[in-house]
Amino acid sequence: MNKNTRNTLIFRFVITLLVILSINFFLPRMMPGDPFSTTSSDVQGEDIVTMTEEQHQYFISYYGMDLPLHEQFIRYLANMAKGDFGQSIYYKIPVTSVILIHLPWTILIVFCATALSTVAGILIGTISARNRKKISDRFMMTGLIAFSEIPSFLLGIILLLIFCVWLRIFPLAGAVTPFAHYNSVLDEAGDIAHHAFLPVLTLSLAQLTGVYLLTRNTLITVSSKDYIRTAYAKGLGEKIVWTRHALRNALLPVVTRTGFMIGLMMGGAVLVETVFSYPGIGLTLRSAVVNRDYALIQGILLIIAVSILLCNLIVDQVYQRLDPRVAD
Amino acid sequence: MGLMLSGYLPIDRPAVSRFLRSVSDRTGNILSRFSTEGRIGLCGIALILMVALFAPVLSAYPPDQISGNSLEPPGQGHLLGTDELGMDIWSQICYGARMSLVIGLSVALIAGIGGGILGILAGYLGGNADQLLMRTVDILMALPSFPLLIVISAFMGPSIVNVILVLVLFSWAKPARIARSQTLAIKRNTYIIAAKNFGGTPYYILSRHILPEVLPILFVLILGITSYAIIAETGLAFLGLGDPTSKSWGMMLYYATSFKSIYFTPFWQWWLIPPLVALVTLVISLAFISRDLEQVLDPRLRRGGGL
Amino acid sequence: MALLAVNDLKCHYHMDGHTILAVDGVSFSMEPGEILGIVGESGSGKTTIALSIMRMLGHSASVSGTVSFDGIDLSTLTVADMNRLRWKEIAMVFQNSLEALNPVMTIGDQVIEPMLRHSTVPQNEVRARCADLFLMVGLDVSWMDTYPHQLSGGMRQRAMLAMALACNPRLIVLDEVTSALDAFTRKEIRELLFTLQKTHGYSMVLISHDITFVSSLASRLIVLYAGRIVESGPTHEIINDPRHPYTRGLIHATPDIFLYKDLWGIPGDSPTGEGHTGCPFNLRCTQPIDICRNTSPQLQPCGNGREIACHRGGIATLLKAEGLRFRYSLPDKKTLQAVDGVGMEVHEGEVLAVVGQTGSGKSTLAHILAGVLIPESGNVMFMNGSVHGGNQGHHVRGVQIVFQDPFSSTSSRFTVLDAVKEPLDINRIGDVEERLHMVKEALNLVRIPSTDKFLGKYCGELSGGQRQRVALARAMIMKPKLLIADEITSALDVSTAANVLRLLKGLQNRRGFAMIYISHDLSMTLKIADRIAVMHAGKIVETGNAHDVMLSPQNEYTQRLVGSRIGLCCHDHSHHEQELVLESHERSTKKPEVVPIE
Repeated sequence: MNKNTRNTLIFRFVITLLVILSINFFLPRMMPGDPFSTTSSDVQGEDIVTMTEEQHQYFISYYGMDLPLHEQFIRYLANMAKGDFGQSIYYKIPVTSVILIHLPWTILIVFCATALSTVAGILIGTISARNRKKISDRFMMTGLIAFSEIPSFLLGIILLLIFCVWLRIFPLAGAVTPFAHYNSVLDEAGDIAHHAFLPVLTLSLAQLTGVYLLTRNTLITVSSKDYIRTAYAKGLGEKIVWTRHALRNALLPVVTRTGFMIGLMMGGAVLVETVFSYPGIGLTLRSAVVNRDYALIQGILLIIAVSILLCNLIVDQVYQRLDPRVAD
Repeated sequence: MGLMLSGYLPIDRPAVSRFLRSVSDRTGNILSRFSTEGRIGLCGIALILMVALFAPVLSAYPPDQISGNSLEPPGQGHLLGTDELGMDIWSQICYGARMSLVIGLSVALIAGIGGGILGILAGYLGGNADQLLMRTVDILMALPSFPLLIVISAFMGPSIVNVILVLVLFSWAKPARIARSQTLAIKRNTYIIAAKNFGGTPYYILSRHILPEVLPILFVLILGITSYAIIAETGLAFLGLGDPTSKSWGMMLYYATSFKSIYFTPFWQWWLIPPLVALVTLVISLAFISRDLEQVLDPRLRRGGGL
Repeated sequence: MALLAVNDLKCHYHMDGHTILAVDGVSFSMEPGEILGIVGESGSGKTTIALSIMRMLGHSASVSGTVSFDGIDLSTLTVADMNRLRWKEIAMVFQNSLEALNPVMTIGDQVIEPMLRHSTVPQNEVRARCADLFLMVGLDVSWMDTYPHQLSGGMRQRAMLAMALACNPRLIVLDEVTSALDAFTRKEIRELLFTLQKTHGYSMVLISHDITFVSSLASRLIVLYAGRIVESGPTHEIINDPRHPYTRGLIHATPDIFLYKDLWGIPGDSPTGEGHTGCPFNLRCTQPIDICRNTSPQLQPCGNGREIACHRGGIATLLKAEGLRFRYSLPDKKTLQAVDGVGMEVHEGEVLAVVGQTGSGKSTLAHILAGVLIPESGNVMFMNGSVHGGNQGHHVRGVQIVFQDPFSSTSSRFTVLDAVKEPLDINRIGDVEERLHMVKEALNLVRIPSTDKFLGKYCGELSGGQRQRVALARAMIMKPKLLIADEITSALDVSTAANVLRLLKGLQNRRGFAMIYISHDLSMTLKIADRIAVMHAGKIVETGNAHDVMLSPQNEYTQRLVGSRIGLCCHDHSHHEQELVLESHERSTKKPEVVPIE
């Protein structure tokens, strides 16, 4: 991609980031009341904590909320740049700590789900493309398309009901068994996998059909191209033609999609984590929202946005290396 | 005078009846081209529509009335049992259908038509208005929608109107963009130049040339937005951010899953499953219809000609 | 032993329910070291034949017949064996090089790939060999590590050629390699192929719709139409003397070969391959007979190593004259030998121009051929019947003549209607209504109004050009198979003459009748003539293809005639032009050199 397009992209990233930061900042402040009148552990947000007026003022000045708005914004941006996201009002520890505790779990399931759906999608897509005239292919397509329309969290609930409640194969909640002692790293890894399995499965099923359709359709387009005919004429044989020539070209759009997929999954993680009570960043966002924990909300939102943007940037770079046609 | 009136229809009336007739003709034309899946989808939607419309007739009790003991299994008087508070689940399903459809359709129509109009105007007028719209749409589409959805709806408070407004905010971008690009493509045709040459006003060109071609596409989009809105509302409700009084299927799911021992008791069988099944049916039906509609309309769309 | 032998090859494509017959019983063979050219329009089955040689037709095609390479029937080979054969023995160069090369692999990698696969070159030497190949095809070695989209079309075609040569195959199939290239690149590729064949002795099958390109390289030509071979033989024979009406039409529509003639294509469209009884060219042919509609002609040898598939044995002779003599008696007891021992032939669907000075006897000859004058000796045969009863003009599909002077060829007292209707009236053809209808049709043909008002006009009220058209309409109403046009434009001004000439040629092209065009104006003649007969003092001194006569006249008189053209004030036609065109003429008609390989 040439300089112009790259500049536009960076420009877009910056603008998006600023918008998110602004929303982050202004939204909570536009609501009536302040966090201190709703600090409660009850999800319904009833106003049950009482503070003295003194304590109230103290907290307000501590969080800098008595300063004029634009000064708060500048302070906020400066803090962001320093990496100081403030203190979680609910957990009473720095926001960064809260995030660092929960983020790895989300990264775990999102990455595993991306890998799973990408690999499975490409595999099924390739098989489907090679068998495209047969009836079995049509069934598979219809089935997968119907499947993909079911929203991820509904799918999650169904899987939960089947595998956790009815069959009792998988645990109902958590990332690890509480209070567990492990004899070895392998045991611990096994336990984590056991808990992570259903969330990963749910997230990947939601994206599977997208990858499948893209692979299938791109492969079908590519296999009618002339260079495939040239490859056959060279006597290279089915296997080499399909891998070195067909897939190599067809997978380019899939790579792009994988990058964006990570972004989509970060959004979907909120719901899936809630279904499985999986302690990732999504679940944390939900409770932060319910608790009106501004600082935490801002922090999480920022992390999500930044990671999506980072993924896009990485996908960009990777694509450039793969497709010589977009080089400078 | 008599000669003039006999058998002579004035110009305005046939326009409306012509339009209606052509719409019904085209609809019949399109419907006949649906595949099996499409027809299944149509049946599903029809079923849910019926349930929604005739909810008072189909259910014995209003959904927010405590009509029995809590957590009664399905049986006498309660087709699907009762929930934690003793309210009939079957009536909640019936009225919930209304809620889902109302939310879905309102969001879809407001975002689809509103966004569509903005897109058409931007495409037609061009210049600064167009640039402004495009930048806004770009930024909107680059934002991570669901997390923001959560945050905004949390802060706006739990009510149906707020939910609808928030969903509209995040769904109007796509119809606007597509309507704009279609408008631009149509504008390039030389018959537009010819019409302008003959003295056609912008209103004439918009209503006679552009709108009829963009409308079918918007229609497909509106269907897609309906699907998205229903799912999004369900998601928000599921997270506890929906309207507690709304009795949508999402809220049912929320109450069921927040019940502390839902998974250790058999109650999930009649409390959790019905809204689940209802939602899945609705979503898949919409999806089938949408796909078929896209296929039927697509070759015409790409050719650029009207239906 | 033949390197490649194809026997009764038939290929059907099955698509969406219906079957398309792409190749319908094609048989040919080629020897090692030969260049064979396959010429045809798109859809004639050329690429299908190429793909079936490599056995690369997909599952949607059914193939019957045999393709033998080096005596081995390729259909007996397993997939693995066939893969071993591909590229190592038979390689192919496709057209549209951008799509035919993998966009994400470097050119070098793609050239090296088959070398590694077929293990023809040790691993550590592949790059060196690739560099050699690049040099051989005239590409700079630095392009080895670039991608296809970075090269121009001509360079890519060379790269494809290098790729094809990678495993040193015995046979190279080149499919439309120049169709996407400009004229310069086309010439360079042609030179390259010529050099390759000369120095390394590769056998090649050249497939193209571009006759000029193919004929400049191939020693033998095969002409394909609708999946069948209609004609085959040595290249220079086919180009200079095409025997099949289709081949003739193709060659006449190639400006590089017929340099002076206006471009006229073959009327009608190519068949869609849906299957047909009878000869596939039947509907567009100028000389169909009944059997052509029912049975398909087989490819038969017709001497000189040539074969032709036509029920009539190729382009038939329409009119044959032998030993014609005619003498005028002059007032002072002298005689003038106007026609002195003339023999000639006119073929179906061709335009023969008889060119000569005033007094050379052309008009007399024309009148004899039309049956108007009876020669003192010799005879004229028209389609197996003699012309001299004079009744070839009495019926449709006979011989008609249009004369020079428009004012005397039509009667001033006759109305247009009567004038054109005259032959019908005389021979009692059709009833009143039918005659009127036919008159209107004929007038439409010659592009003059057929309104009642115009029909009622007297010929005396018309201009020279209009009267000439009326005369033409009168001749055309009898649907002649041979039209003799005796100096019909000489009395008209340049613009009118041009219009009439174009009209005439258009009619001839559409209707497919033969024409003898008499003129003293060589330049005009060149625009429409297929063959030229030069007449001088009652004798025909030279006959030949129009471009041959024009560019390399053998006879001294002809040479003087050709050299007598007056050029524009600022150009010298006689030398400059000759040089320019001589080269292309030589190229297209010379026998290409074939170096025999032991």
